[in-house]
Amino acid sequence: MNLILNDLPPLHWALAGLGIAGITLALLLIGSRRLGISTGFEDVCSLVLPAPYFRRSAVVSGRPWRLPLLCGLVLGGFLSAVLGGGWKPTWALGMFDTAIGFGPAGKLAWMFVAGLFIGFGTRLAGGCTSGHGIFGLANLERPSLITTVTFMAAGIVTTQIVYRVIFPLTGL
Amino acid sequence: MTALYVVLGAIFGFILSRSGAADYNFIQGMFLFTNLQLYGIMGAAVLVGAPGIWLIKQRGRTLFGRTIEIEMKPLHRGNISGGVLFGIGWSLAGMCPGPILVNIGEGKIYALAALAGALTGAGIFGTVYQRLQKPFALPALKVGTGEG
Repeated sequence: MNLILNDLPPLHWALAGLGIAGITLALLLIGSRRLGISTGFEDVCSLVLPAPYFRRSAVVSGRPWRLPLLCGLVLGGFLSAVLGGGWKPTWALGMFDTAIGFGPAGKLAWMFVAGLFIGFGTRLAGGCTSGHGIFGLANLERPSLITTVTFMAAGIVTTQIVYRVIFPLTGL
Repeated sequence: MTALYVVLGAIFGFILSRSGAADYNFIQGMFLFTNLQLYGIMGAAVLVGAPGIWLIKQRGRTLFGRTIEIEMKPLHRGNISGGVLFGIGWSLAGMCPGPILVNIGEGKIYALAALAGALTGAGIFGTVYQRLQKPFALPALKVGTGEG
């Protein structure tokens, strides 16, 4: 299977896993930073929201390194497109288009609601795929094992319901 | 240092973009068990990361001589309830937090709506944190649910 992005062939999984481990270790070795992206959402919120939660030092002190890292992620996606067949704005969403078929307005609504679950859920859980699933598991932290097993299970159940029951995809 | 974090983020973003970790079809394939690429990536990252983190902790200092201090994540009821909510969102969007940003960089317009939702969700969470503390047995405000 190729990527939605310019129909590019994917990197080998072992190479990608090694690269992600390399980034994780580099952050730790260079700045004593634990990999974690979802806390960056709090950093962004802390720029505009006055709630005490966003004023605590765990959030504010992380901004000088986490916000540049988040900007880097956007840049990395941009470079990936530019160097891999060209960058152009797109609504393409792979099997969503085949089985669900919502237009732009429907996609925006769908994604906004999904984003609410992601933003609220990751912060309630104390991390996401990177903070719990990669760093937390590699650092042998029990809360990360519990959280990772839970979000993987919830993702599996949700996708099975969406693509095998509500919008059955032929060929599955 | 700021530039260094941008570069690390860009490399991370490039890998997420090209590996399928930021690709809607690969995410659904993982949850449907029709494509195992992302299990391989996460497994490899954890298997290589674990001894690496252990070694760096043994060394005890960063390259610049700073003491390595890692804040461990607290255990609380939010791990499971938040995990359920996040898993649903990850499946629906086909993106977890990092890949939302990567997809925006790639030019996927709908990812902007996912980011708006995620920031709103995190904003709501932080605003009502003190009211969630008791029902979810969340740590003190100063600690929060954990960095990451």
